[in-house]
Amino acid sequence: MADSVNLTIDGKAVQAAPGTLVIDAAKKVGIEIPAFCYWEGLTLQAACRMCLVEVERMPKLMTACTLTVAEGMVVRTETPLVAEARKSMLEFVLTNHPLDCPVCDKGGECELQDMTFRYGAGEGRFDEMKVHVDEKQWSPVVYFDAPRCILCYRCVRICDEGMGVDALGVIYRGVVSEIAPNKEDHLQCDECGMCIDICPVGALTSGMYRYRTRPWEMEHTGTICAHCSNGCKTTLGTRNGQIIRGNNRDKSGINGEFLCIKGRYAFDFNSHPERLQSPLMRIGGKLEPVSWSRAIGEVARRFTEIRERGGRFGVVGSNRTSNEENYYLQKFARQGLGTNNIDHRRTGDVPALIDALAGRTGVLATVKDVYTAKASLVIGSDLAQQHPLLAYQLRANWRHHQSHTYTVTRGPVREDKYSVHGVRVEPGAELGALESLRDQLKAEPELVILFGDAIKGEAVRRLVEFGDSLGIPVKYICLVDYSNSRGAVDMGLLPHLGPGYQGVENPGMSLPEMLAAEDLDAFWVVGANPLEHNKLAADRAFVVVHDLFLTETAERADVVFPAASAYEKNGTVTNVCGEVQHLRSAVQTMGVKTDLEILGLLSKEMRINLGMWTPESVLREIRQTVRGYNVALPVIAAGGAAQSLPLNGRVTLDSRPELIQSAGDTLFTSGTLGRYSKTLLSVLEYPGVLYGEAAEPEADRR
Amino acid sequence: MASKIQDALSSAAALAKGMGVTLKEMMSPTITEDYPDVPPKFQERYRGVHVLQRDENGLEKCVACFLCSANCPSDCIYIEAAENTDSLRISGGERYARIYNIDYSRCIFCGYCVEACPTDAITHGHGFEIASYDTSTLIWRKEQLLAPASPRETQTAINPPPGVRSPV
Amino acid sequence: MLYNEPSPLEVKVLSRRFGLPDSQSINTYLAHEGYQAFRKAAAMTPDDIINEVKISSLRGRGGAGFPTGMKWSFVPRNSPKPKYIVVNADESEPGTCKDRLLMEYDPHQLIEGMMIAGLAVDAHTGYIYIRGEYRYLINLMDRAIAEAYERGYLGKNIQGTGFDFDVYTHTGAGAYECGEESALLESLEGKRGIPRIRPPFPAVSGAFQCPTVLNNVETYCAVPAIIRDGGAAFAALGTPKNGGTRLFCLSGHVNRPGVYELPMGFNLLRMINEVGGGVRGGKKLKAVIPGGSSCPVLKAEECDLAMDFDTVAQAKSMLGSGGVVVMDEDTCMVKAALRIMKFYAHESCGWCIPCREGTIWLRKLLDRFHAGFGQQGDIPLIGEVAKNMLGRTFCPLGDAAAMPTISFVEKFYDEFEAHLDGKPCPYEEVNRFALA
Repeated sequence: MADSVNLTIDGKAVQAAPGTLVIDAAKKVGIEIPAFCYWEGLTLQAACRMCLVEVERMPKLMTACTLTVAEGMVVRTETPLVAEARKSMLEFVLTNHPLDCPVCDKGGECELQDMTFRYGAGEGRFDEMKVHVDEKQWSPVVYFDAPRCILCYRCVRICDEGMGVDALGVIYRGVVSEIAPNKEDHLQCDECGMCIDICPVGALTSGMYRYRTRPWEMEHTGTICAHCSNGCKTTLGTRNGQIIRGNNRDKSGINGEFLCIKGRYAFDFNSHPERLQSPLMRIGGKLEPVSWSRAIGEVARRFTEIRERGGRFGVVGSNRTSNEENYYLQKFARQGLGTNNIDHRRTGDVPALIDALAGRTGVLATVKDVYTAKASLVIGSDLAQQHPLLAYQLRANWRHHQSHTYTVTRGPVREDKYSVHGVRVEPGAELGALESLRDQLKAEPELVILFGDAIKGEAVRRLVEFGDSLGIPVKYICLVDYSNSRGAVDMGLLPHLGPGYQGVENPGMSLPEMLAAEDLDAFWVVGANPLEHNKLAADRAFVVVHDLFLTETAERADVVFPAASAYEKNGTVTNVCGEVQHLRSAVQTMGVKTDLEILGLLSKEMRINLGMWTPESVLREIRQTVRGYNVALPVIAAGGAAQSLPLNGRVTLDSRPELIQSAGDTLFTSGTLGRYSKTLLSVLEYPGVLYGEAAEPEADRR
Repeated sequence: MASKIQDALSSAAALAKGMGVTLKEMMSPTITEDYPDVPPKFQERYRGVHVLQRDENGLEKCVACFLCSANCPSDCIYIEAAENTDSLRISGGERYARIYNIDYSRCIFCGYCVEACPTDAITHGHGFEIASYDTSTLIWRKEQLLAPASPRETQTAINPPPGVRSPV
Repeated sequence: MLYNEPSPLEVKVLSRRFGLPDSQSINTYLAHEGYQAFRKAAAMTPDDIINEVKISSLRGRGGAGFPTGMKWSFVPRNSPKPKYIVVNADESEPGTCKDRLLMEYDPHQLIEGMMIAGLAVDAHTGYIYIRGEYRYLINLMDRAIAEAYERGYLGKNIQGTGFDFDVYTHTGAGAYECGEESALLESLEGKRGIPRIRPPFPAVSGAFQCPTVLNNVETYCAVPAIIRDGGAAFAALGTPKNGGTRLFCLSGHVNRPGVYELPMGFNLLRMINEVGGGVRGGKKLKAVIPGGSSCPVLKAEECDLAMDFDTVAQAKSMLGSGGVVVMDEDTCMVKAALRIMKFYAHESCGWCIPCREGTIWLRKLLDRFHAGFGQQGDIPLIGEVAKNMLGRTFCPLGDAAAMPTISFVEKFYDEFEAHLDGKPCPYEEVNRFALA
């Protein structure tokens, strides 16, 4: 078979691989063939008949979305006959369309509107009664207005094929055909909102965004989701300093068209009524609002005093603050306060992996690798719940490339549906169970191994040895929990490792040790909630907390700084695969400051020179000094993702793998932050389960 | 002498002519309007201060589609939308304008908003007395712009009969 | 009790056993040359069987008239996948009622036809997809299959030939759409009955993505006769390229409606006047739908033609599934078009836009028009809407709805005009306030 096929589209010579669809071949040369039902990557539908084109030597108009290219084919996409056919299709669609564009949320960004502008049929000849069905609410985030639906089945396919959730279907037939949810009148699904995003018209609307504004009234900021570690780009639509909508309208991020409920809807913590908007200081045993200068002054005075008398500091960093803030915090602790007692909540053993892979290249997988690799092995993680983007990529890989997936988990996971082999093991026995897969894995051409917190410490080295013994190229992803968990490790929020996995001379205390140390003089928590389930043993310690909310830790604090959220600051974050991406400030909340600014103001007040505290200058320093972070700035600045490559040299390992513990968040929880998202709390599926462990929810048993 | 008489006569004639005009105008109807003692009259199409209309049920016609604001060349219309509920129904459509402000320090009374309105909700009234010593009072809120509702209509607006949905 | 009195003009090949006592039992079948064709076929090579069918110039009896032998030869012989024989017994075309009789009076003939098809393409499993409304036929068919198993005509090593064949019945849920071959396969697989994108055609990827032979009941029923008596003998019964006989379902305003087996190429006027006993009540003939509701209508003066696929196609209609619907001079053609469109609007599966929206538009338009609310612009609009559907729908259902409508408007334009300006229907009282 020839490598490429030559054809002519609208007089342009086109070369395309055999099997390419005409609609895609046309797109390559800049000819847009309109379509409602065609969606790249989903099964073909040919239901909307908008992509009809004229093909020489074919008696009828052909649908470009199902027609594959053939040698010598001559296609015309804009003849009068084609335009007339498209116009008539639009006329048909509009006969039972309610034409309530003024109130429709999609008005202004509606594909049906665009097509009607382009091909006409604006004047209706339909004089009869329209079919009307009342609007329905399927879940807190999904509403369905059946009359607006043009039955392109994109939602059904993205849910079934893309997400593997199968929550939508079609009922009835003919003109009253209707999209319907899986549970008769409501949805039980991932509540990801992919169906809403993919809907070309306003039939599926989002509970968050409904009737709040019009598309052209919003400003859009592409930033990185503040929740899990996958680092999806979410475009926040803002109006009047409020985030109204999250979606992925330009599909330019590593996540393409994908977003889960957290990226799409769980931005609402940002405008939660309990958000702190003024520094708090303990006055007379109670936390009272005070001015920024007073709070900064007090903390600087106490810190200076404790430092001068040689007191003990404990510093806890965050899994969600930006790389710049993490870097500046550890610099503050190590240089400013002279302590290595710095830690964060560790959720995956990245240092062990970096050490085991020392000196190699091309062994750290990216999000894209999960989509392209011929085979993948998931160990000890409920990927679809904990890492939805990676799960989506894995699924898409299987759909498009028939890749092989293997799972080694302690319970059933969604990947089992298409995995070649799923192994159930007792927690802790994951590594041993790999042997049973050895022969199958050996036969694969390449492999990506994704492992969770079940593999840590020495087990990581043995896993890499296992990978080496297969004799095939293997790439690894060490799964971590939150939006910048990986960055926290990379930036050295560890007692024994500085930025870039450089060992430090006198390792400090780990987080549990700080909590247990009775003689701690100051406990400084930047964007974390370590006291959620623990107690601070040092009763008399001076506690400073940066947070968005009055968490359990903040309630114990002597001074609380109201911090800006990830959606309110600039900077960079590193996702689970080590890909560095740009955070962009979408909104501002009155009274808060970014952690970086708070750190800067503190250092200034304490007369410690740690350098400039703008995100740009700190990033410049990171790129110069942190191993593997000399990433291409233009890529990041343009909204892309650049992988950091910290693999050169051995890493001093902490011998405390038991400190590493994933929080076990599901699709519907997100640590402390998730508690402040009304959307997450409102869905039926909250809080969700890992490995199908809990009993069937109430709604299922009816 | 004769010339003197002639002068007197011609003066009298001129006087009579002049007074004739005066007398004639005294008899004809007046054009000058006695504003502000008497309210001024306008042509139907006069573009005065906007009025937000109500439908036959007393509900607001505006469905907060933002098209007036999108069309406004001086960008003087500000809207915030909200959704009607069964217990609080403000407009005939699914959505209503929770806030509807027109900044009369910017408005140029071009009428594009009226042209754009798909529900004939915004119209030009004949009001024009909006001068103020304080520009901040020139931002008119929805309450100032809305057509008055009769008491009966107010009643319907709050408790519409079941199933009332005016076509949008 | 037989369905209708046979006509002396009939040539009984497929219906030869109709009317015999206990005709559906295997004993009757075996006593009248039953399963002999299978024995003969078992001794032939697959290529010979297909050749014989090709010689017979048997064309698909479902409506499209595709040569059956050619269809069978498309099945990839060396495919490692299993192959299937599927019977389309989802007979839903208004005006057509022949498959029902073939299954009711001679079920074993169908089973034998399937077995021969199985021999020809090396398939060992057959499915009979029976229309949901034909519930009693499912029991009947199941009984016949059980009999065949009992007597060793189905199952493993049939009659010592070494050929294995199993037959299953499957019931539809009452959707006309499932008579379309790919929708039928979807439904057979347990999915929503919507057509598939073609290519691939069922011969390559059909039931369960395996090569599949899918034919109408009547087509399979003709196969035993072809093998038994030779393809040439069968072909000789009809006209060139239109071999054999065909069961015509004569209905409407004739004196003796019924199903008659007549050779292909039989004259339509003779069929109405001689076989059917003329138009009922001595009235004048106005129009005939020659092949079920999806075929363009023929005016009375166009009816002097031979009923074979090619001749009817020349008259810009279709032979379709053999449902000849006769309409006399008192028939309102607007109402006839409306009745047909009501059917298609009800049966449109809703998959593609032009059919889903076009059929309901036409139905509402014709409904209003027939009730006397028509306007001058509506008549061309009916034609235009139908033309916008024609050839642009996903499956032939849209064409089936559009073609008769276009022909009604073109050929009976004056009758449409007679409904204009608020004038009531000239043929009947219409309740003008009962618009659906």
